[in-house]
Amino acid sequence: MSTPAALVDGISGGVAKAGLEYADASLFLHGSTIAINTILERTGADTALVITEGFRDIYEIGRVNRPDAYNLYFKKHVPLIERAKRFEVPERMYAEGEIRTPLNETALRRLAKGLDGIESIAVLFLHAYRNPVHEIRAREILEEELPGVFVTVSHELSQEYREYERCSTVAANAYIGPTVRGYVDGIDSHIRASGFDGSFLVVQSTGGLFEAGQARSECVRMLESGPAAGVIGTRALCHILGLEDAISFDMGGTTAKSGVIHNGEVLTIGDTLIGGYEQGLPVQIAMMDIFEVGTGGGSLALLDESGALHVGPESAGADPGPACYGLGGNRPTVTDANLVLGRLDADRFLGGEMKLDREAAERAIATQVAEPLGLDVTEAAEGILRIASTAMSYAVKGVSTERGLDAASFSMVAYGGAGPLHATQVAREIGMKTIIVPLSPGHFSAFGMLFSDLRYDYVRTAPGRLADMEFGVMEQTYGEMAEQGREAIRRTSIEPEGIVISRAADMRYVGQEHPVTVPLDDKLFADEDRDGIKREFDKVHLERYGTNAPAEPGEIVSLRSSIVGKMPVPELRAYPNEGAGGASDAAAGSRQICFDRNAGYRETPSFDRTRLKPGHRIEGPAVVEEHASTTVLFPGDTLEVDDYLNLIITVAGYSS
Amino acid sequence: MTDWQKYPGTDPVTTEIVRNGVLAVTEEMKNNLMRTAYNTIIYEALDFTVGIFTPEGETVSIGIGLPMFIRGMAETVKAKIRHFGEDGIKPGDIYVTNDAYLTGSHLNHMTFTLPVFDDGRLVGFACCMAHWIDIGGTLGGMTTDIYSEGLQVPILKYQNEGTVNTDLEDIIRMNVRIPSRAMGDLRAQVTAVKTGERRFLELVRRYGFDAVRDSIAAIMDHAEEASRRRTLSIPDGVYEAESFMDDDGIDVGRRIPIRVKIVVEGDEMTIDLSDVSEQVRGFYNSGVTTGHACTQVAFKCIASPTDYPINDGAFRNLKTIVPMGKVVSAVRPAPMRWWMTFPMTVVDTVFKALEPAIPDRVIAGHHADLVVVMFHGINPRTREFFIGNFGPQGGGWGAKLTEDGANAVVCINDGDTHNAPIEQAETKSPVLIENNCLIRDSGGAGRQRGGLGIERVVRARSDIVVNTQIERMNCRPWGLDGGGDATGNTVALELDGKWKEDFPNAKVLTAQLKEGEAFRLRSGGGGGFGDPLDRPADIVAEDVRQGYVSIDSAERNYGVVVDPETLALDAEATQALRGKRRG
Repeated sequence: MSTPAALVDGISGGVAKAGLEYADASLFLHGSTIAINTILERTGADTALVITEGFRDIYEIGRVNRPDAYNLYFKKHVPLIERAKRFEVPERMYAEGEIRTPLNETALRRLAKGLDGIESIAVLFLHAYRNPVHEIRAREILEEELPGVFVTVSHELSQEYREYERCSTVAANAYIGPTVRGYVDGIDSHIRASGFDGSFLVVQSTGGLFEAGQARSECVRMLESGPAAGVIGTRALCHILGLEDAISFDMGGTTAKSGVIHNGEVLTIGDTLIGGYEQGLPVQIAMMDIFEVGTGGGSLALLDESGALHVGPESAGADPGPACYGLGGNRPTVTDANLVLGRLDADRFLGGEMKLDREAAERAIATQVAEPLGLDVTEAAEGILRIASTAMSYAVKGVSTERGLDAASFSMVAYGGAGPLHATQVAREIGMKTIIVPLSPGHFSAFGMLFSDLRYDYVRTAPGRLADMEFGVMEQTYGEMAEQGREAIRRTSIEPEGIVISRAADMRYVGQEHPVTVPLDDKLFADEDRDGIKREFDKVHLERYGTNAPAEPGEIVSLRSSIVGKMPVPELRAYPNEGAGGASDAAAGSRQICFDRNAGYRETPSFDRTRLKPGHRIEGPAVVEEHASTTVLFPGDTLEVDDYLNLIITVAGYSS
Repeated sequence: MTDWQKYPGTDPVTTEIVRNGVLAVTEEMKNNLMRTAYNTIIYEALDFTVGIFTPEGETVSIGIGLPMFIRGMAETVKAKIRHFGEDGIKPGDIYVTNDAYLTGSHLNHMTFTLPVFDDGRLVGFACCMAHWIDIGGTLGGMTTDIYSEGLQVPILKYQNEGTVNTDLEDIIRMNVRIPSRAMGDLRAQVTAVKTGERRFLELVRRYGFDAVRDSIAAIMDHAEEASRRRTLSIPDGVYEAESFMDDDGIDVGRRIPIRVKIVVEGDEMTIDLSDVSEQVRGFYNSGVTTGHACTQVAFKCIASPTDYPINDGAFRNLKTIVPMGKVVSAVRPAPMRWWMTFPMTVVDTVFKALEPAIPDRVIAGHHADLVVVMFHGINPRTREFFIGNFGPQGGGWGAKLTEDGANAVVCINDGDTHNAPIEQAETKSPVLIENNCLIRDSGGAGRQRGGLGIERVVRARSDIVVNTQIERMNCRPWGLDGGGDATGNTVALELDGKWKEDFPNAKVLTAQLKEGEAFRLRSGGGGGFGDPLDRPADIVAEDVRQGYVSIDSAERNYGVVVDPETLALDAEATQALRGKRRG
């Protein structure tokens, strides 16, 4: 397995283009879609699963749910490991962690000898989160018997109960392991050969960094590294701008994604489904809480059999793409609607590198949407964008209302190729008043990485009533997690500027099923303040669900800890602010744009973002163009360029 | 194509925005209920339904955990409107009932309804049904009337213009076994209907009531149009089928007929349940609401399987005939505790009837039971009374004309319903689960093979009482078009070290298990579709390699010979054997 040559060339090309040498750098940061694509495209290793006797099929049985409830042709998840390669060995733990059946080492060795040609092995034993000795021993035996084979055991990735989810997690890690390892090694040897002598770090799904050596074995931790880096960038912008609460709005060709910064911190979750809800494979590790909807620039506008108009989730993709790309697509998309309304300029797309065909866009919308519905083309195009905007507003709202937060009181940070194009309209749907469009919104994820820290997340399932929990035992568990994190940081070549350890617990009312994660200050444990912990839980429950029951006893399900090694924060260059003023220096002509179907088209000025300076102010309607993105200001919106060249937009009706 | 003049308050764009909006409202109601609920049946098993209704009680959108409750809420909302009258419905009210003959189901289904007012005008209802783990009544065993099944709450105001009816709360607390859980679930349901109110009002205020009302009318008309178009594609005719249930748990071994007659005429369908069995003595009855629900579920699978939101427009061209007093239209005081079991077989029987007309849109029989076990006892760790279950076990689904049946999926009564994690069940209850695996050869043979059922063996770690109410052990899931039948659902007990497997049905209504004893549940498979001899031999060999089909079954049912050492297909021997079988 090797790293794609084009990627290596691309990295070196970028370094050369910037006039730099590898040897000058001390850090190499990398985010990649290799892990997720290996799963989605099913191109991983020939993998076996070793599992507790009696449970070979839990990976296939899953949770037996059928979300597509009326479709007789519903589809279930398809395991990454076929049944013929799922093997049982005798061993069993009780839920309390005591051994019921010792690991049958002879049986395991016999099994290993039969695994000819297997490239990777996942091990899941029941209750290994309580007592991992059998998984540890199984790993030793498999590594002895099968040198060179990738071996991964469940408790090293997740120490939470839920055997199917943990099984799917370790299976995914095994399945992508050899590919990711080869990929990381390929980059490593390339940059080392080119004279790089620093630390090679990879972005995890939490937005935290870990060292390439750790990414080689805990590959599932980098599944969502791209989207996570963008949210980390949002947090960094918040710190710079002094904001506590923001929602990121990242829109590309097929999806729109949102993550949340609350009280200056990113919000994370403990599990997700890879590949959608209905057929997705669960992964039970910490990751950024990102809400996604299937609306992007390539989303198709189409009429169903009854003549109702829908936008997405079906997408024209990159090939053939929107009708206006002229690549053979003739179905109308969100991008076509933007072009018809003048919000995109046919001659300036990708800095003019790709000319768009406005007539093709008009034709597609006219024949497939406007005429059948008895609308004119403008009405239809404007309607397509309103439907798309409300759909995306649900992504932005979803990520916040699920937490009991009010999106309207947050600022929006808009990026991705299409984010700035739709941000003002989406913000209007939610009642958000401030939008920030960062520099180079198309490459914001890379910016985000620079502000990421080393991060290690641990969870221990430790159920018990709060009233009965012994502080000594909890302290020991937190202490072990902290030490594990410190040790992980020590094993890197980085000397962080400091280590920040935070504690949380998953809590619920006695009898309740679903816990919520409650951040807990160290002091609560130092003071052995049970009531204080309970109060924090009551508060979080109220915030999240609008209800709580302070009189009911609480219980703890799991203890969580994240250990963060602070990295030096790059200093952003502030540009001289030569006083407020119009942006006439950056004026780049004007064109007819429609913002409102009733008002029709109006001549609207456009500005060249590269010529905007701190203090420049623009009154909407206007558009700001840059290489890979266009920012749209509606009538009444105002834009001000800050000292870091971010565009700060105030939505009409919310004068600052 | 739609005549938009009919909807003066809206247009195609606003209609689509409102459609996305009502889906988002029910989705958020569902999320909030799930996460605040106190019991596994709501959170893990998703045994609940939330919805938004018009001021007249028509379904606008329901977020569904439980397909068979597709009618239960609308009928309950309508009954509440009738009960209080237009003038009796006030802002700040929340109504409640668990009347089994109204919801069509059992007393565990507590149903809350909140009238949504915008500036004094009634604009709709938010409603939430959820399954409470216990509602009083006898614990396990058989019931023979509704009065032994627990607390009955008629239509009442849980909240009257903002004031909570604490008398009702006190009555509930005294009548259920685990009051803290009941009150927790009650709070969760109130949260859900309030969430529905808040979000639906946001929609009404953003676009105006006229726009929302007319959009909803357009959405329902679109649903109707789509449903009519897809019914029109079914050849006109009268289609009939018959199947049987094992028994009612009292008259053991006396089969219970499920006969359906379907008339398709143009773009309309009538499903006649007149010849379904009379109501029975055991607790397998359901109310007339469910008689209608099971025909709607079958009809939706055929006429609008992937259309959302689920709304009443899609059922305007369906007529259900169901006289009162049938097993799916039972009248007081019929016992209703296992209301959900028989209607599933009604649904499968509708598919069986329509197979000659639309073989590509139906499915062979499935395991058609929750295959759930309820057990209770005193937890030695906490010394508290507990009621445990693992949620529905899941089983095999039938094959279709062009696809194999799915392995290990929840029955058609349930949709997005989850089983409970083993590690969680063992942490909560004093049991040890010894296995949870697919049963080889449990799927019916066929050109398309039926899906496989699941086996689960559970050992008691302290004394427990076990109850099962499982059906379709003897009347097994059937194949279609020459496909074979699947295995049925079965229960066995290990008592004093010996397995007892010879029960006459799968209804072990109360079994006392001592510490160290065990029970075993096997869910049935799904029926096959088409002649097994037509299944490509290499696919049968692959089934053998994966362990879904045994070597013996490959030869016996499919005429396919597989080498027992290498598991390779013996093409020559197969050809000879199949030739002989075909004669």
